[in-house]
Amino acid sequence: MKRTVVLRTAALLAAFLMFTPLFFLSSPILSQSDEDCMVCHEDPELKSGDGKSLHVDSEEFRSAIHGEAGFSCVDCHSDLREIEEFPHPVKLKAVNCGECHDDAAKEYQTGIHIQASPEEDCCAVTCADCHGKHDIKSTTDISSRVYPLNLPQTCESCHLERVKTKRGGEFIKQYEISVHFKALEKAGLTVSANCSSCHGAHDIKSVVDASSRVSRKNIIRTCGQCHVGIERDYLEGAHGKDYVKGIKDVPVCTDCHSEHDITSPQDLSSPVYATKVADVCSRCHDDEVLARQYGFLTERLKTYSGSFHGTASKFGETRVANCASCHGIHDIRPSVDPKSSINPKNLPQTCGKCHPGAGENFAQGKIHVVSEKTGNKWAYSVKMFYIIMIAAIISVFLVFIAADLFHRLRHNRAKP
Amino acid sequence: MSAKEKDISGSKTMTKNPSLILDDEVFLRMNLAERIQHIVLITTFLILMLTGLPLIFYELKFLKPIFSLEKSFYVRGILHRVAASVLILNVIWHAYYTIFTKRGRNNFKELLPGLKDLKDAFELFWHNLGLMRFLYRKGFLKKFLEAHPYWLFEKAPEFGRYNFIEKFEYWAVVWGSVVMIISGFFMWNVELSLSLFPLWVHDIFVIVHGYEALLAFLAVIIWHMYNVHLNPEVFPMSKVWLNGKITGKELRTLHPLEYQKILEERKERL
Repeated sequence: MKRTVVLRTAALLAAFLMFTPLFFLSSPILSQSDEDCMVCHEDPELKSGDGKSLHVDSEEFRSAIHGEAGFSCVDCHSDLREIEEFPHPVKLKAVNCGECHDDAAKEYQTGIHIQASPEEDCCAVTCADCHGKHDIKSTTDISSRVYPLNLPQTCESCHLERVKTKRGGEFIKQYEISVHFKALEKAGLTVSANCSSCHGAHDIKSVVDASSRVSRKNIIRTCGQCHVGIERDYLEGAHGKDYVKGIKDVPVCTDCHSEHDITSPQDLSSPVYATKVADVCSRCHDDEVLARQYGFLTERLKTYSGSFHGTASKFGETRVANCASCHGIHDIRPSVDPKSSINPKNLPQTCGKCHPGAGENFAQGKIHVVSEKTGNKWAYSVKMFYIIMIAAIISVFLVFIAADLFHRLRHNRAKP
Repeated sequence: MSAKEKDISGSKTMTKNPSLILDDEVFLRMNLAERIQHIVLITTFLILMLTGLPLIFYELKFLKPIFSLEKSFYVRGILHRVAASVLILNVIWHAYYTIFTKRGRNNFKELLPGLKDLKDAFELFWHNLGLMRFLYRKGFLKKFLEAHPYWLFEKAPEFGRYNFIEKFEYWAVVWGSVVMIISGFFMWNVELSLSLFPLWVHDIFVIVHGYEALLAFLAVIIWHMYNVHLNPEVFPMSKVWLNGKITGKELRTLHPLEYQKILEERKERL
């Protein structure tokens, strides 16, 4: 008795499993085949009431990822399944890609593209806007619209003009002068950062959203996806340590390197080019308010500019020391840190990078001399001596010249 | 010519034997070696100023384009050092010339400053100002000035081969060269400097080099340019530095004591 029940159930189950696929596969055939659709949609002139082309290139579809996988029209245009009379009069519903691509759809729900147009029923930017429609290719296919090499163009197709972002199309276009774009475009390096490397793909968020990949809170991690070593150095340095504490004034990657237009530090247009670094650092380090709040010294730029390093740098000399040459780049440490490049113990080594054989005398004095009066009394005396002497000598010269001219003028006039 | 000439030529001893020194007789004030030393000094000084002063005035915007070309700052440094080296050679040559030639030694003796130079400067200034003569004419200090006519500064002081202005300029160049060469040498060889001195001493070299340059620049622009170019007596330019020549007349008016000395030598020879 028991055995027959089991056998029966197994037979039923087997029959079900055998026929179910057949049932599903045959269902389009039962309703509409692709050929049925193409009877009308093959026509390149086919247009909807409002003039939109309703043409479908079947060749294109068959070479695209869904076509290759054997999908038929109604698999995606699911609302066609119920319609039996053709031509179908109604406008079809938008395809819901999320039926299959549920992970992407879930991410998409959290992104800005779904919110972009609150007045419309649905989202301003749909799957098809980025991925295409019948011609969707795999993201690993070089001809895909979202393949790294092509993604900038895809995003820019809206973001340059049609979609007004807060900072405008120019800001977006700046990406094209970046080292990231150059690597992508000129060197063909697909590992170089494209739009989605920093902004994400389906869950793109506004920069002001704290959960955005490009927010101040997350930008370090975002850049660190590729620049792993730099992220490590940064987090070990003074800036990184304060960043971890959540101090919002601390500089993150983009504060020094700029955003879309990140260029190589060897590029003259880079804000961290050798002769420009001082301007970048002094934005904060010469700021009186920040200095009071966080207890650091100001007048760093002024005191640097007054030195030979700073003066030469101002005149475009790149070989002289800039801020980073002595203080380090990403792992800048305070001088009290024994690992700091400007710790008095390490100064000979730091100066020795440029001045071979630099000894302890390099540390016997101040680099950023705010006031010779307090910093270097001898230098101050010499300076004052010269200022007084120059003023005195030049005054005497002028008085003598004036007297001489006065005398000549009077006697020339006296003469007829 | 000018009133000054009249004042000076009023001296009786000088007009006694006019035939011994003719007005158009030519004397050699600067020989070829001295002229070349001077021209080298002008050239190197100009190059050093052009390639050095902008570093003091780094904040002036109009200077930026000069150094905006690639390598221009590097070329600036090379030019500055080359000019400095030539100047040092010039100084060495001049020292050699001063020690080992008779003319050089004689010039040096004539250039040695004395109390007379201070007196000359003081007297020339009050003579030019004419304040005391003015007061005297207006009836002030009459008794004092009649008893002490010196304070009227009626006559301009008489100068020898080098007047106090020239002596001052010469010693200013000597002082300036020494200071600039020493401080510049250590700035050029910063590693050497810092192996000998602490950083704060090196900082003094930098300060001295800059301020001394400024002083030299102003002195030349104001003092030397007035005395050899803009002064109505020589305007537009004294040509001594080019041909080295000075006439008997110029000698008599500008360097009466030297004139007198030559005159006396010739009288003795007669």
